[in-house]
Formats: sequence, C-alpha cells, structure tokens
Amino acid sequence: MTSDHWILIAILAIAAFSIRVVGLLAGDKIRASRHAWMLDEIPGLIVVSLIAASLAGQPLTTWVAAAIALCVAHLSHHVIATMVVGVFAYASLSWLAL
Amino acid sequence: MKHGAFAILPLASGAALYGFAFGLLAAQVGFPWWGVGLMSAAVHAGSSQIVAVEQFANTSAVLGAALAGAALNLRYIGIVASLSEVLDGLSWRIKLLAIHITGDENWALTMSERARSRDIGPSFLIGSGLVMISVWTVSTTAGAFAGAVLPDLERFGLGFAFTAAFIAMARGLWRGRSSALPWIVAFGVAIVVVQLGAPKAYAVVGGALSGLLASHTIRRTGKVAA
Repeated sequence: MTSDHWILIAILAIAAFSIRVVGLLAGDKIRASRHAWMLDEIPGLIVVSLIAASLAGQPLTTWVAAAIALCVAHLSHHVIATMVVGVFAYASLSWLAL
Repeated sequence: MKHGAFAILPLASGAALYGFAFGLLAAQVGFPWWGVGLMSAAVHAGSSQIVAVEQFANTSAVLGAALAGAALNLRYIGIVASLSEVLDGLSWRIKLLAIHITGDENWALTMSERARSRDIGPSFLIGSGLVMISVWTVSTTAGAFAGAVLPDLERFGLGFAFTAAFIAMARGLWRGRSSALPWIVAFGVAIVVVQLGAPKAYAVVGGALSGLLASHTIRRTGKVAA
C-alpha cells in the first residue's frame, strides 16, 4: 500500500467522523432553536434524494422495478418484502431486456 | 440492542454483497485486504468509500478522490442532527461511538421504526449499527481477498437492493400530505443535479436542501394565510 492509499484512508476517515461530529453539535443547537422542525423533515428528504440519485439516468427497467417496489412498500410497510420483490423485479426486467 | 441487531439483518445481507463487490474493486486498484478492512472500520461510509476508490482508480488524484468521497458524506450532518433526540442523555463517549457506527441503513431503519414506536431508541440504533459496521468491514475485506475477478453483480439486482430498501424506508417516514411537495421538490432537484453531470453526493445534498426550502416556504405561507 503506497503513501497515497494511506493518505486517502486518513482523509476519508477524518472527514467522515468530523462531519458526523458537526451533525451532533449542530443537532443540539437546532433542537433548541426555532428551526427544530428541520429535524423532522430532514430524514425523509434525504431518503427521497438518495432514491432519486440512484434512479437518475437509469434505464426504464430500473424505474419500473422502483415503481413495483413502491407498490409493495405502500401495501406491506415491510422492508424485507420490498427488497425481495424489488430485486426480483429488477433482475427479471433486466433479463427480459437483454 | 438485540432488537436492532436482528432487525437490521436483511439490510446487512444486502450490504454484505455490496461490500464484497467494493472489496474486489478496491483490491484491483492496489489496496491490500487489511487496507480495505482498515478503511471500512475507520470510515464506515460505504457509498463514500466506493466513490473515493473509483475516483482514485480513475484519476489517481488523492485529494480529489477524498473530497468526492467526503462530499457524499455531507448528508451525515442532517442524519446525525436528526438523531439528537435519540442520543439525548447518553455520555459523549457513547454518542461518538453511536455516530461512527451510524450508516444510511441503520439510521433510516431506526427513524422508520421510531416513527411507529417511541420505544425505539439508542439501543436499537447502536445494536443495528454494530452489526452494520461489522458486516461492512468483514465483507469488504473478504471481497478484497477474493481479488481479481469482478463478477457482473449488477445483473443480479445487487445495486437495486439499496434502492428498494430506501423506498421501503421512505414509506415509513411519510408524514402525509404535508410531505408531498417537499419530497417532490427534493426528488426532482436530485434528478436534475445528477442529469447535469454532478456527483450523486451533490444531488443528495441539493435535493434535501431544496426540499427543506420548499417545506419552509409552505410553513411560512401557511402562517401568513392563518
């Protein structure tokens, strides 16, 4: 492992932990402020953005699989069922598209 | 703690496959197995590590790769901030441990379960986080061991497992009609940012901030109308 590898790991580790600590410190201040409502909004917004970022630029089959997963999530409220059906739908649609 | 540790297992199995694939990739660009394990334990941010290693492999620019990876982690400011109520009353040592072992999956599962039951607290977060960081570290190290041949895991739906999991979590975080417009704005902005060619990290940060702005606007409009 070269020095570049070590530096990359070190910077990533320091950055990752620092960002988490900033969140911890900022979280306490936000809770005591009039901006506390953000704590309720942020989780859903980040998850939705993660979904969007993973779907952007993907083929139609991925979007269809996501729609199927959304239906399962809506009906079942179950993470495991959504993952299993979603992955199966994605794999099946990808295989059919070949 | 056991509740969280068991509840996270389905997501941990998905993370294990993804971690194994990441280990293979990292090994191909010169990381030894112990280096991959060290990175996973010290950084514990899967998507951030993957972006950084991919950037490092393509550009060999250490600082650029590290910054790209770190940028993906900016969302943890919001993620950890949203945990302040969950972590309230714990010692600083436990808080620092908890935020280090917190990842997308166990955070979202904790928040999702907490929305349904207030009994879900720090022990659930820590139990699920310990499983996630252990599974992530072991699976990435195993992937690096396997080394050379990178199978086309995407064809088997590996990458989509996380998307499906996030969709299920979003369902748990849905707060009714008041969530609709901010979520649509966040989704749309994230899509546009990615389509413009920016790293997905910026899309996640940009989407979340835009959704917050939309929510703030709705709240202000509602107050004015009232």
